[in-house]
Amino acid sequence: MHISEGILQGPVLAAGFAGAALIAAATMRKLDMEEIPKISVITSVFFVASLIKVPIGPTSVHLILNGLVAVVLGWRAFPAIMLGIILQAIIFGHGGVTVIGVNSVMLGGGALVAYMVWQQRHRFDFARREFIFGAMAGATATISSGLVLALALLTTGEAFGGVAIAVLAAHVPIMLIEGAVVGAAAEFLNRVKPEMLAGRNAPSA
Amino acid sequence: MALDIDRFANVASPVQRWDPRFKIAALMFLIVCIALLKTLPVAAVAFGIAALILLSTALPLHFVSHGLTFVVVFLLPFFVVMPLTYPGEPAFTIIGLPFAWEGLRIASLIFIKALSVVLISFAVFGSSRFDVSMLALQRLKCPPLIVQMLLFTYRYTFVFLDEMRRMYTSMRARGFVAHADRKTLHVFGNFVGTLLVHSFERTERVYKAMLSKGYQGQLHSMVTFRAIPGDYVKAAIALVIALALVITDASGVFAVAERGWF
Repeated sequence: MHISEGILQGPVLAAGFAGAALIAAATMRKLDMEEIPKISVITSVFFVASLIKVPIGPTSVHLILNGLVAVVLGWRAFPAIMLGIILQAIIFGHGGVTVIGVNSVMLGGGALVAYMVWQQRHRFDFARREFIFGAMAGATATISSGLVLALALLTTGEAFGGVAIAVLAAHVPIMLIEGAVVGAAAEFLNRVKPEMLAGRNAPSA
Repeated sequence: MALDIDRFANVASPVQRWDPRFKIAALMFLIVCIALLKTLPVAAVAFGIAALILLSTALPLHFVSHGLTFVVVFLLPFFVVMPLTYPGEPAFTIIGLPFAWEGLRIASLIFIKALSVVLISFAVFGSSRFDVSMLALQRLKCPPLIVQMLLFTYRYTFVFLDEMRRMYTSMRARGFVAHADRKTLHVFGNFVGTLLVHSFERTERVYKAMLSKGYQGQLHSMVTFRAIPGDYVKAAIALVIALALVITDASGVFAVAERGWF
């Protein structure tokens, strides 16, 4: 899911870069030396995992997994996603170089919202808690990004209203898919390597 | 899926020989100018220039075509959605839907600009070794931390791509077939989870190995840059082209989008 080159206008592109730089600076504060390779390596996993295709009917969609980045990296999900977007723009021409800022705000911002949801898990205690919260994080990340995308399209003019609505509608099935995959992955990580999950685990901890 | 963007960085051409610092700065400026064009004829000229730049890199066309396929697939829906949803007086109706030429014109403009930008960015990053491009970015005041993380991510992407392929092969060997159902999504969730656990364990080893080699938070490179007059000339040509495009675009010679074809 990207906004492509050539659609948005100058001020919106500039605002995207400014926003991305600000959020990146805020979410990368107090970065430990040890975190540099960690964030990078996990980014490459997401980069690779986003190549997985899920069949729906006659077509297929790529996983986005920005919700899962949030579940694993917390606030550091933003720089990770920004790195992924820069690389995609450079290597594949996905998105494009002038929309790196806007795309980072869109997908990274979605991840930050997802982390706010995921963080609440320590308040609850029930079976399959990680699945439920993971699924909510995955779904929130997708729909928040979809909203940012629709808003960005609308700034271009009313001519894009139809496209914005089509984009939002397309996000509903993706939201369900992302929710199911991120939920399953969060539950798996909780079983196998719970220290990888970001955020507090129990109220007392 | 070919991820090594710098596979053909050693082919000899004027673009490959261009100092990466000048190449990135000048062509990025050109890209930004193209992305902001508003008139169709100027965008078409920009596309021609982009194609010429790419041809002069001597990159094989099959190498570029993969990236282009994606852009085309991504943008094709615009050709359907824009004409049918453009507000205002429709030219005629197709099976009950209003069709506006203006929407088609906007879709074409976006398509041509996106394609031009992708062609140039292939020319920029396909014509230097990836680490050299990244170092050039650092010289152009891109934060060193970001550059370092990009290099790491790029390097480990290949490792995990191999790992993912191996895991997927063994999954299929055990009879897994992807369907559109909840079971498949659950399997994919576990698949990504496993990949994450492997990567996490690997980072710990990588970090220790780096520490033992004296890592202190910075990367050092043996690459040095030295600009020759030709680098300045090429950059100047790119800047002149970019400005010429923007000025013609804004001059009012051609009608801007939403006002007619030429």
